[in-house]
Amino acid sequence: MNAQNKTKFDPITLEILWRRLVSIVDEADASVARTAFSSLLRDAHDYTCMFTDSRGQELVQGTFCTPGQAGAMALGVKKIINSIPLDQYKPGDVYIINDPWLLAGHLNDVCVLSPIFFKDKPVAFTACVFHHSDIGGRISSDNREVFEEGLFIPPVKLYDAGVLNQQVLDIIRWNVRTRDEVVGDIRSQVAANHVCAQKIIEMMEEERLDTLDDLADEIITRTEASMRSAIEAIPDGVYPYTGIIEGGKRKDITISLTVTVDGSDIAVDFTGTSSQVDWGVNVVYNFTYAYVFMAIKSAFDPDIPINEGAIRPIKMTAPEGTIVNCTFPAAVAARMQVGHFMTEMVFKALSAAAPDNIIAGSGGTPAQTNIMYGRRKSGKPWHTMIIRGGGLGAGSRMDGHHCAIFPANGANTPVEIFESDTPLLVKSRGLVTDSGGPGTMRGGIGRQMVIHIPKDEFGPQDPTTIAVQAGRYIYPPEGMFSGKPGTKAKFQKNNEDADPSGLTFCNAGDTIAFYSAGGGGYGDPLKRDPDAVKQDVLMGYVSAACAETEYGVAIDPDTLEIDVDRTRLLRGQS
Amino acid sequence: MGKGSYRLGCDIGGTFTDFVLVNDETGEFSTNKCLTTPSDPSDAVEEGIRDLLIRNPDADANIEEIIHGTTLVINAIIERKGAKTGFITTRGFRDILELGREIRYDAYDIFSEYPAPLVPRYLCAEVDERVASDGRVIKPLDVEGATDAIKKLRDQGIESVAVCLINSYENPVHERIIKTLVEETAPDLFLSTSFEVLPQIREFERACTTATNAYVKPITAKYLAKLDARLRSLGFGGRLYIMLSSGGITGVEAAREYPVRIIESGPTAAVIASQYYGRMFEIKDMFCFDMGGTTAKSCLIQKGHAGLVSTFEVGRVQRFKKGSGLPIQVPVVDLMEIGAGGGSIAKMSKMGLLQVGPESAGADPGPACYGLGGENPTVTDSDLVLGYLDPDYFLGGDMKLDKTAAEAAIKNKVADPLKTSVVDAAFGVHDLINETMAAAAKTHIAEKGGNPNVVTVSAFGGAGPVHAYGLARKIGAPRILVPPLAGVGSAMGFFTAPVAFDLTRSHRVHLEDADFSDIEALFKALETEGAAILEKAARDEKIIFERTLMMRFVGQGAETDLPLGGEPFDQLSRQEIRDLFDGEYRRLYGRTYPDNPVEFVTFKLRASLPERPFRLPTMKVSSGKLEDAVKGKRNAFSVVQKKYIPFSVYDRFKLFAGAVISGPAIIEERESTIVVGEDALATVDEYGFVWIDLDK
Repeated sequence: MNAQNKTKFDPITLEILWRRLVSIVDEADASVARTAFSSLLRDAHDYTCMFTDSRGQELVQGTFCTPGQAGAMALGVKKIINSIPLDQYKPGDVYIINDPWLLAGHLNDVCVLSPIFFKDKPVAFTACVFHHSDIGGRISSDNREVFEEGLFIPPVKLYDAGVLNQQVLDIIRWNVRTRDEVVGDIRSQVAANHVCAQKIIEMMEEERLDTLDDLADEIITRTEASMRSAIEAIPDGVYPYTGIIEGGKRKDITISLTVTVDGSDIAVDFTGTSSQVDWGVNVVYNFTYAYVFMAIKSAFDPDIPINEGAIRPIKMTAPEGTIVNCTFPAAVAARMQVGHFMTEMVFKALSAAAPDNIIAGSGGTPAQTNIMYGRRKSGKPWHTMIIRGGGLGAGSRMDGHHCAIFPANGANTPVEIFESDTPLLVKSRGLVTDSGGPGTMRGGIGRQMVIHIPKDEFGPQDPTTIAVQAGRYIYPPEGMFSGKPGTKAKFQKNNEDADPSGLTFCNAGDTIAFYSAGGGGYGDPLKRDPDAVKQDVLMGYVSAACAETEYGVAIDPDTLEIDVDRTRLLRGQS
Repeated sequence: MGKGSYRLGCDIGGTFTDFVLVNDETGEFSTNKCLTTPSDPSDAVEEGIRDLLIRNPDADANIEEIIHGTTLVINAIIERKGAKTGFITTRGFRDILELGREIRYDAYDIFSEYPAPLVPRYLCAEVDERVASDGRVIKPLDVEGATDAIKKLRDQGIESVAVCLINSYENPVHERIIKTLVEETAPDLFLSTSFEVLPQIREFERACTTATNAYVKPITAKYLAKLDARLRSLGFGGRLYIMLSSGGITGVEAAREYPVRIIESGPTAAVIASQYYGRMFEIKDMFCFDMGGTTAKSCLIQKGHAGLVSTFEVGRVQRFKKGSGLPIQVPVVDLMEIGAGGGSIAKMSKMGLLQVGPESAGADPGPACYGLGGENPTVTDSDLVLGYLDPDYFLGGDMKLDKTAAEAAIKNKVADPLKTSVVDAAFGVHDLINETMAAAAKTHIAEKGGNPNVVTVSAFGGAGPVHAYGLARKIGAPRILVPPLAGVGSAMGFFTAPVAFDLTRSHRVHLEDADFSDIEALFKALETEGAAILEKAARDEKIIFERTLMMRFVGQGAETDLPLGGEPFDQLSRQEIRDLFDGEYRRLYGRTYPDNPVEFVTFKLRASLPERPFRLPTMKVSSGKLEDAVKGKRNAFSVVQKKYIPFSVYDRFKLFAGAVISGPAIIEERESTIVVGEDALATVDEYGFVWIDLDK
């Protein structure tokens, strides 16, 4: 960097420009809620906005991002941008891509990418990935290859120098079930990029900048330094961990990883992990990386905005053809069922080295997703997707929050929105008592949602199809340091356990219940403050019976008073 | 002050309660300031008014109106001092408040805290009933069960109850029955129903807004009753108005019924005052800038109007993190609040950069220069070191400032760690806080489609006039306006606020299918309702109605606001409405899609009474000499030359209409200090406003 640039970005100016970049991307992010069509986007916020400098290096991502998309985009968008010579971009170009290996690991995550021109030069790129609940194909986690999972879009131009490529839009339109919604959401992506580009140009004009690259270098360098100093605080060492993820009807999956901390570098290696499988839970490298990154970022340096610099100190290796670095044409639709576990696995590997920086297993790992579709009596198709969290794992200083999607992120769909988008009726949605794993710090509470398919003139035609992509039906979220596990997830049809993999076909009159898992506890439950247990009983998070058996606290269920003597006895204190 | 009719504005703030008494015939003002009495805020109100009346005996019994703003409601929420409140909802959904929207507001922070609901889970009850999303009753209300639920909650000692049933926004029939049941079986309970508080889709946001209303309803009602009684005992026989978050004022009845609408009562007042000055001086674009001890609030005012938004958050667990508070969906002036004030703390960040705020030293220990034990350098400390503040004339000399302590704090916490001099560090702090505010201001102005290069900055608050010059330079604003009594400027806003109330009604229908005469009837019904509320405010004037459409593409989840002109709806064509929508959508998002169908979702109406202008008192055009107003000279830091230069110091109270002051100058008044750089020119107008032109 030359001397002039050094004076250009003194620490104070830099701070100000940086903040402005964050507010620009957040503004683009906020526009999505106002323009999107699908409730998965406008209500559940399953999308990420970001932008890069002219070299494709990520500069800023949205504050309300989804870490899987965001982390994968940091790698993928750069690769896409650099696959085309810079001088071949034209103002008004808009690219569309959903190649899972280039981006966020399944076809539903569609990226729209545009160059930003300032004074006739491409100075930046803006990109957003939206999770489209419909990308055609056979919606199920038991497909054998990606070809069955829907429409595959390599990088193509949706707009060429500002002119719409109608054929591309038509191909998409004829490959999906709910064309108006999908096309509307693609337009919302174009609008989000427009908002972002407009604001960046305004900023460059006002700040009299000709390029963002110098600014990017400065921001990235400082972020890298911050991340490195956080990593330096972890004792050097080699930290292996091997964990099992349930395969349901199929074989369990083994994840074998070794975290090596060396000064300010972290390397994570997946040698020994299971090979890719012939169903939809395979994970591409980018997506695995995103959740390894999530673990390290959230444990050690959560405050600094994310950009290229944050990922530099973290290296990841995984043999090709393993389930965490699958090869084309593996089926990948349900990649979160494995990918989301990466964060928890890295936490477990580091648990002895950094016990205060991590949390126990979470019921929202993996995110519980359900796609539901069918036809109304009028013949009109309906289609929706909801995501559900579970109890967050407890940490050394905090109970787990209830109902969080972790390590991914997102919101619930309001019941009133769900019911106005579908012909279904929600019977209940609420917390499940005693689902949080007992511990000195209690795991977060899981929740249930019960949906009824009305058998009347307002209900749907048969069948109503439900695809479940979730987990924790066999192995519950584990506790840590003598904390106990949370409860397992459950999927029921008409009050009987049903198969949570693949597709479930339902008829009018059926009732479907989803129970998500509770978070794991942290520390010995017998050491939990009896007053905290009493409060949990008052709130109905924990039953009086469970307070006694798990926490060794005797509470009168009517008066809610603690029986001190019996509690002492139960806890083995004299 | 002579005889005549009087109005009194009274603003209860966190530290001080401010009063402004105006004689509407002469335009003369009298002000007062006394310490807020948190245990019973009406104590301070009574004391302050008593004091003013002693000084203005003619005003006694001649006060026609008292206009009141209060932080009572927001403090009750933040400090969790509202009533024990129950919540009644549809069976299966008692956890609406507890679940919220489930999003993690900070994706990478695994230890984020979340706000606890205002109603604890054990006071949430369920009743058997169900309405479908299209308003059909699927299951009638179990009246007996509902009666039991009310009784049980009452036995648990609740004082207030919120009712929010699934899909009631579409058909409130069961909420209405529960309302009757509460009135009949538990008339002592305060009641808030969601169909009355917020008839809008999305059960969590509606429930949260309704529960918040219920939570603060008893405390508000008790306070207003007590205040009213105390004012009457002082001989007040006029009308009492309360400031709304939306910038209007309303009678006591509406404030008591919907206290959730007065949450931002205080911060709004400065905006309303700016709005008035904007119209008075015919300034097209004003930027209201109100900088106090902890935060800076700002708002763009275009053609004399501040924007309104329909959602905001209260009680954030992490003060400046979006998503960490409780969402409230009522109309509120679109002001932006950031953590930048005189008390904002400066330090070196983890990135090795200077950081100022958002944490504030508050009043205790306060800035290092207060000498109350504060060791952290603040913006006020840097303003002192830079010479903008006079250590011997802070609050008119009532409070001495310790410059040595300020320098030491800046040296230890900023200059040494950043390896720079104390002066550079002090300037860095001053400049960074200005930058922070400027960046936020630019974003806010840009979002509203404004241009910072043409705005007039109106400065309020203790720190506002100190920083307005630096802020204006950074955003490229050509002019600054410092109103008289900028320190109590908020209370001035009360006199200019219109009596106004905002109403909405949801009714989803495609543009192509809509019956425009039905929509006209709907607007008319809203007008009748609005008129009824305003009539309770009892002023006999013509009511003004402003209509807004909220429309979207069929299938979208959020709407675009389209203000309408005055014409009856049934005289508009579908094409006119369509063009209005496409034009606005293109402006916001770059492209529109005229072939895609659009729909109406919500209809909004603002009912208001004409503003009551007040005459500002004019200053005597004195042949006075400027030299008489000069207090002396002192060295202060020039942001242009980046060094200390001599500034002339003036006493604002000795200035006269027509006075022209060339910078560098500092104009001091009791509650604030105006900085005028060497490239700026200040003039005093006939009303005592100080106008500062940059680039003289």
